[in-house]
Amino acid sequence: MAWKLPRRTFLQLVLGTAGAGAFGPIASAEGRDAVTIGWPNDIPSWDPNQRFTPDAQPIFKAVFDQPIDQDPSLKLVPHLLKQWDLAADGLTMAVELRDDVTFHNGDKMTTEDFRYTFLERIKAGVKLDTANSWKKVEDIVVKSPTRATMKFSSPAPTAPQWMAFLGSFIVPKQYIETQGLDNFLKKPIGTGPYKLADYELNSRIVLERNDAYWGPKPKIARVTIQIVKDPSARVAAIQSGQVDCTVNVPVREVERFGKEADFAAELNPITRVILLQVRNDLAFADENVRLAAHHAIDKTALSKAFYGGAAVPLAAVATPGTPAYLSDFQFPYDPKLAAQYLAKSNYSADNPVKIGFAATNGQFPSDYDIARAIVQMWKKVGIEANLEVIEYAKYFELNRAAKLPEATLYSWDNATGDPEIFGGYLLNPKMPFSAWKDMAVGQKVLDLFSVADYDKRIAGYRDLNRFAVESGATMPLLQSVLTMIRRKDLAYTKYANGWVLPQSMHWSA
Amino acid sequence: MITSVVTLFGRRLLAAVPILLVVSALLFCVLRVLPVDPAAMSLPPTATIAEVEAKRRDMGLDQPLPRQYLIWLRDALHGDFGSSIQFRRGAGSLVADTLPATIELAICAMVAATILGFGGGLLLFRVRGSVFEFITDMASILLLSIPEFLWGLILLFVFGVLLHVLPFTGRLAPGLSQPHITGFLLLDSLLAGRADIFISAWQHLILPAAALGLAFSPAIMRVLRSSLFEAYHEDYIEQARLRGLSEGRILLGHALKNAALPTLTLAGVQFGFLFSGTLLVEVIYSYPGMGNLMVDAVRNADLPLIQTVGLTYCIVVLLINTVVDSLYVLLNPKLRVR
Repeated sequence: MAWKLPRRTFLQLVLGTAGAGAFGPIASAEGRDAVTIGWPNDIPSWDPNQRFTPDAQPIFKAVFDQPIDQDPSLKLVPHLLKQWDLAADGLTMAVELRDDVTFHNGDKMTTEDFRYTFLERIKAGVKLDTANSWKKVEDIVVKSPTRATMKFSSPAPTAPQWMAFLGSFIVPKQYIETQGLDNFLKKPIGTGPYKLADYELNSRIVLERNDAYWGPKPKIARVTIQIVKDPSARVAAIQSGQVDCTVNVPVREVERFGKEADFAAELNPITRVILLQVRNDLAFADENVRLAAHHAIDKTALSKAFYGGAAVPLAAVATPGTPAYLSDFQFPYDPKLAAQYLAKSNYSADNPVKIGFAATNGQFPSDYDIARAIVQMWKKVGIEANLEVIEYAKYFELNRAAKLPEATLYSWDNATGDPEIFGGYLLNPKMPFSAWKDMAVGQKVLDLFSVADYDKRIAGYRDLNRFAVESGATMPLLQSVLTMIRRKDLAYTKYANGWVLPQSMHWSA
Repeated sequence: MITSVVTLFGRRLLAAVPILLVVSALLFCVLRVLPVDPAAMSLPPTATIAEVEAKRRDMGLDQPLPRQYLIWLRDALHGDFGSSIQFRRGAGSLVADTLPATIELAICAMVAATILGFGGGLLLFRVRGSVFEFITDMASILLLSIPEFLWGLILLFVFGVLLHVLPFTGRLAPGLSQPHITGFLLLDSLLAGRADIFISAWQHLILPAAALGLAFSPAIMRVLRSSLFEAYHEDYIEQARLRGLSEGRILLGHALKNAALPTLTLAGVQFGFLFSGTLLVEVIYSYPGMGNLMVDAVRNADLPLIQTVGLTYCIVVLLINTVVDSLYVLLNPKLRVR
């Protein structure tokens, strides 16, 4: 079939380009029924079970649904699951799904999809990160289209939390099985409040409201997520009106935009901790050195210098408002005490203990600058740190191979706020997150992993958090902040874990 | 004439094969020597050491390096460049998705560089001996000293933020949907008969293409000026004057034709560099091309993707050089004698 360009169209193109096209008014952020968001990273894949990427969670939450959701204060709330009941021994969990949920293609969502997501595709060997988070699932017994029971091989006390966490999105069994995974990745469908309208790798994601959504309908009909990786370019994009809101911009820009009438600029503390992951050997085999290193760090000064004072100094690996946060526990900045600890091990400013120190550069705001400041703080008390930059992606590999230095500056995201996913993961010697392999702390963690009683579990983690810091097994520094700049008339719901959800946005009158 | 050009083209393509093999082997070795474990990187963080070891065996990483390379080469010849660690998709398909955007940008940038280069070169030559010579000379040196990413930032600030006349993120305005036909957005918009998309795509291309064009035009300017100086020492220029031709006609009709040949060769070489220069410019302008993909791959130590993108850059540069050499023969009769 020969294709012919109509003469009128051709003339329009030529004239349009030569004239108004080149330097005409640019299409900036859209109208009142649309929003453009400047986002720092693309999603790794349109299979929401495939990769655990905290940055992608809000995007996935627009297209797909999770069995359980969290409210802005992070309390677990029913979503696709109307109710769930974790057995006292933590070995089974009965669930009841809503019966009014459909996928974007009109197929009804049932317990078959639930079973497929959390069991069948994992057992089938599809490369999914959820294969790890749900590896305890032995079976899911389907009792009806809305009722099922999950069976675990060992107690799974955080199963409800994981239902609202990374990767736990229900995918359509029939659609994937009939269309194939490749087609699902090209044209993904979920049950979420938005449908995917257009996607260009590393460029933009266009979402259109799902008018058949079972829950509250989003107020904004069209959402364009523009992938802008460079923080300065994100700032320029919001400044010039090409996006309506953006996140993860430099703190100084938040202060600048805060003075402008048309913008709202925020530094929101979230459930992400900045800490030092430490080893229990090398120079840090000596508890005196570890405690000295921790007492020598002025966390308030770090917060003021790098986060405008908005990042809360932490004494334990938990953020304010989460269940295992210790509001009455302090670990003071005390350089004299640090020097005394070092003196006990015959170290001083003149005879410093030498340690290795690793940090990322650009993984989270001011990471390398924080590391350099800590090196200077340590130097004053008698700790000489050799700072090296590592890529974030290499952390796990270096840790597995026991090649991390004594201390590593690290950022840990836990959208659930549950203490197992804070201290439990960071200090579990069997998991690759923890650089600390000593079993005095490690056994306490392992024991807590099988405690199904919620109150008992939380109390255990509160004790663990205190014990781990007092024995120098971890050095929490600051609660991280999410920087955000938005048009003042664009409202959204603020979540304690930093989610910025398009479905919560609306333009104020 | 065509025969000699085709022969040269074929010969150059054949010569490119061993070069590609050497580059691919070098890339492979360098990436394997890096302290990064592709097996560990391709598993979720919660994977155990035993799982990593099993994965390593599965990926053939327990084999000697030459054998690993041969396995990779065999797969690559069958179109399988491995799976991206970050995206868990075929690295080849990721490159195929992003390459058209980069080619489109590079071509527009090359056109801009050529127009600016030839225009600037002619201007530099015309003002020789006048009071403007020093000023234009200094200006060309200044242009030469500004790299493409700095141009990117300057243009973004001036035209995007300050004057607010041109967009600088992505390839298309938010309200428009991209037609997915060839991946070349300008062409796709024409094929779809969508003037609005064509204009928006064009607007989004101007700043990144100008940034690259401005960075690569000064070299063209200066070589053209030197070539024109040489051409003006030839007898045919004096003869043209004696025939009463105007200075403008001598410059454009006679001297430029001859001076253009060495400039064309340089432009070809520049195109190769320009193609590599898209990397930073794409990041600055959030332009979804291969450069952006490469930056992602490096940040995530995604070795299969780095290898595939690196090899693609090499293939494109070799192709460009081959085409330029063939064009040179086509345009220069002296080279066709042999």
